[in-house]
Amino acid sequence: MKTFVVPILVSALATFIPRVIPYWVSFLDKLPPLLSRMLRLLPIAAFGPLIFPGVFLDYVPHLYSGFAGISAAFILAYFKGGMILPILSSIVVTYLALLLGA
Amino acid sequence: MSERNLTLSTGCKDGFPIFIGYFPTAMAFGLVVKNLGLRLWEAVLFSVTNFAGSGQFLAASLIGSGALLAELFISVLLINLRYTFMGAEVARRLEDGITGMKRALIAHGTTDEVFSISLMNPGRLPASYMAGLELTSYAGWVSGTALGFLVGLVLPPALQLAVGVTIYAMFSSLLAQEFRKKGIKVLLIAAISAGTHSVLTLLLGVKIGWSFVVSMLLASFIGSLIIREDV
Repeated sequence: MKTFVVPILVSALATFIPRVIPYWVSFLDKLPPLLSRMLRLLPIAAFGPLIFPGVFLDYVPHLYSGFAGISAAFILAYFKGGMILPILSSIVVTYLALLLGA
Repeated sequence: MSERNLTLSTGCKDGFPIFIGYFPTAMAFGLVVKNLGLRLWEAVLFSVTNFAGSGQFLAASLIGSGALLAELFISVLLINLRYTFMGAEVARRLEDGITGMKRALIAHGTTDEVFSISLMNPGRLPASYMAGLELTSYAGWVSGTALGFLVGLVLPPALQLAVGVTIYAMFSSLLAQEFRKKGIKVLLIAAISAGTHSVLTLLLGVKIGWSFVVSMLLASFIGSLIIREDV
């Protein structure tokens, strides 16, 4: 059976390095404002490619099932907040959409 | 928060809401990696060694798509760069004399939520308080991962495909929350990176990890030009 230990540890390293650096080095006050704003926007910029085009491609030939699911999650998270309900609703909506052949 | 005596137990108390918030998200993570073919101990190892929400979901989706280790490393590093800024703030506020291993452990536990909660305290932060806060959060993250994985084991096969949507639903919910807090610019930035990534991977055949890095950098660069105030 395939093991995932190496990629898990590579990912751990890529998480620990940016976390540990500021506890020993201080250089962040000197960054130009444009660069510092850009770095702060990275997590938001990550959401796009984390969702698209995967959410369509994973469900071929039912192209829109996953999209229907995440739309439900988006709306619920926007109006109600939280994660449990949005995520559960996305499963139900995707399941129904698959049954309907969307 | 007013000035209080910051101890291990106040740390645990402050960490409890984070525990509650992390638990279901970690369950979703456990479910996702179970569907990718990880074993229970690998899922738990993932959360124990990484302890990072978006970073772990990103890593999971790249592992699932068969990305190279270099692509994985750079993409995860980029999404986690914000911790460098958060860590800088927390490090400035730590009590004197916290060194070596203790410092490294506090660094490992610096998540978005730990950062926000710890900095609500006005004074210097003792190691015991940080330990309580971070260990409580950590417990929620790791135990949630394990439970999510186990729930995945008993799920009927008909639901498995539908459950695959959880990873996208998680990002979509996070995006909706950012959108509510910060406005339409959030959606614009996400749309730029989503569009770039789709064009690069589907039309130009760029490998997924690199395309991810390019899309993320381009969108945040454009974002930093159009958004002048801090987001």
